Amino acid sequence: MSERRPYRRPVNPKWWWAPGAYRAYTLRELTGVGIALYGVVLFAGLISLSRGPDHWEGFVQFLRSPASIVLHVILLVVVAYHVKTWFEILPKTQPKIIVNGKQVPAQTITSYATLVAVACSAALVLFTFLVAR
Amino acid sequence: MSNAVSTKHAAAEKRSISPLFWLPFGAGGMLAALFGPGLILVTGILGPSSSGFMERFASYDHVLAFARNPIGKLIVLAVIALFFWHGAERIFLTLKDMKAGPVPNLKFATYGVAALVTLVTFVVLLGIGF
Amino acid sequence: MSEAAALMKTVELRVLRYSPVTDEKPSFGSFQVPWTDDMSVLQALQTIKDTLDGTLSFRWSCRMAVCGSCGMMINGKPQLACNTFIRNLPKGPITVEPLNHFPIERDLVVSVDDFVKKIESVYPYIIPKKPKSVADGPYLQTPAQMVAYESFSDCINCMLCYAACPQFGENPEFIGPGAMAMLQRYNGDSRDGAQKLRLDLIHGEDGVWSCTAVGVCSDVCPKHVDPANAVNQNKTNSALDFFLRFLPGAAR
Repeated sequence: MSERRPYRRPVNPKWWWAPGAYRAYTLRELTGVGIALYGVVLFAGLISLSRGPDHWEGFVQFLRSPASIVLHVILLVVVAYHVKTWFEILPKTQPKIIVNGKQVPAQTITSYATLVAVACSAALVLFTFLVAR
Repeated sequence: MSNAVSTKHAAAEKRSISPLFWLPFGAGGMLAALFGPGLILVTGILGPSSSGFMERFASYDHVLAFARNPIGKLIVLAVIALFFWHGAERIFLTLKDMKAGPVPNLKFATYGVAALVTLVTFVVLLGIGF
Repeated sequence: MSEAAALMKTVELRVLRYSPVTDEKPSFGSFQVPWTDDMSVLQALQTIKDTLDGTLSFRWSCRMAVCGSCGMMINGKPQLACNTFIRNLPKGPITVEPLNHFPIERDLVVSVDDFVKKIESVYPYIIPKKPKSVADGPYLQTPAQMVAYESFSDCINCMLCYAACPQFGENPEFIGPGAMAMLQRYNGDSRDGAQKLRLDLIHGEDGVWSCTAVGVCSDVCPKHVDPANAVNQNKTNSALDFFLRFLPGAAR
């Protein structure tokens, strides 16, 4: 008992890339980069708009370029992964939802919420193209 | 026993300011989850690809009118600012996990940029006029 | 070894050993352990202690996953040794180490003092909304009211969640998933009235705000307590409190 000498092993500094749940967590968090990048595109658009019609035309030309299309496809994939993982975490942030004396499973909440999200984005696309007509 | 109780409940730890960053992170994440794919599709893929869409819907006059509208301004500010604050929180925490640098530097590089962009967006939107 | 044992299949256990008296730091020892299809890793350790090396030290008690004593890292994952069966592990050596993120006292025994202090700090008992005597009769609670906190009451204090949590690994002052599950077990109980008292403990960086929702705590929990839910729903509570505390008579 008097001979105690507790030993603390060092923590793996690359734990965030350890295969499995830790790497998946880091990849999930990195979708934030994609969201911020899209924010940069929108911000650039706003600045272009504020500088007048010529600068705005330049921004539109950029959006039409193959590089921009490719960028946006990548951003779309990243944001889609964000949608999937966001609603997987969502149930954890709420108190348990109880219906008829039973807890609603987290997967049910995730599925419903994801459906709502898909509907929202679809509605936005449809609305924009309808109004544009 | 009373001594043991008092040491168990030492003065509550100083409050963290994390909620200031967590709420915009959450709002931005929800906004991105609900409308992100739609926005990217319209502004970045379908819009620029379809003939005539950019000329009609995204003409300078049309977009300027949107940005001059008070509701339009709110939408633009909300989307840009919240997307940046969401990204800032996630990038900050990930860089902290990776021990990429001293925490104050990381906060400056992430939250600092988000704050700057929010401010500039606000000012530019006002400058565009009504 | 008896003739019968010599004919049995054996598995190699690589066990991290550490004696504070003789060792400067921990190192692996290797044991060839005869095993049968019904054996758990705990039984393999007991075989080592009984027949190969009596100095091997490890905690265990119920051997049926209700006491929480035998938590350890098995092939790099925090698991209960009594609940982990050799037949289910990949072929090859089995690596057994003490729980991550805790100081090692000896061999597979880690120090639990800090964890016990955290459990004790969350007022882990019903504090009624108003004083109630036995003559007033029992508390009434519907099944729905019980479901609200039931999973958190299943915690066996095995500390696997702390071994899994990387933020606890980085910050040992973090109150952690297990203590938060205990906190929410009481805050979520309809009989209890001390929500604010407990919430006031967790508004700091070492409270809920060390958590980044990695979620592995709930993944490794052997009793499906879902401590990640306990921590993250209190982020919402803490964030709301941050802004609403200035309102007069703010109710929680």
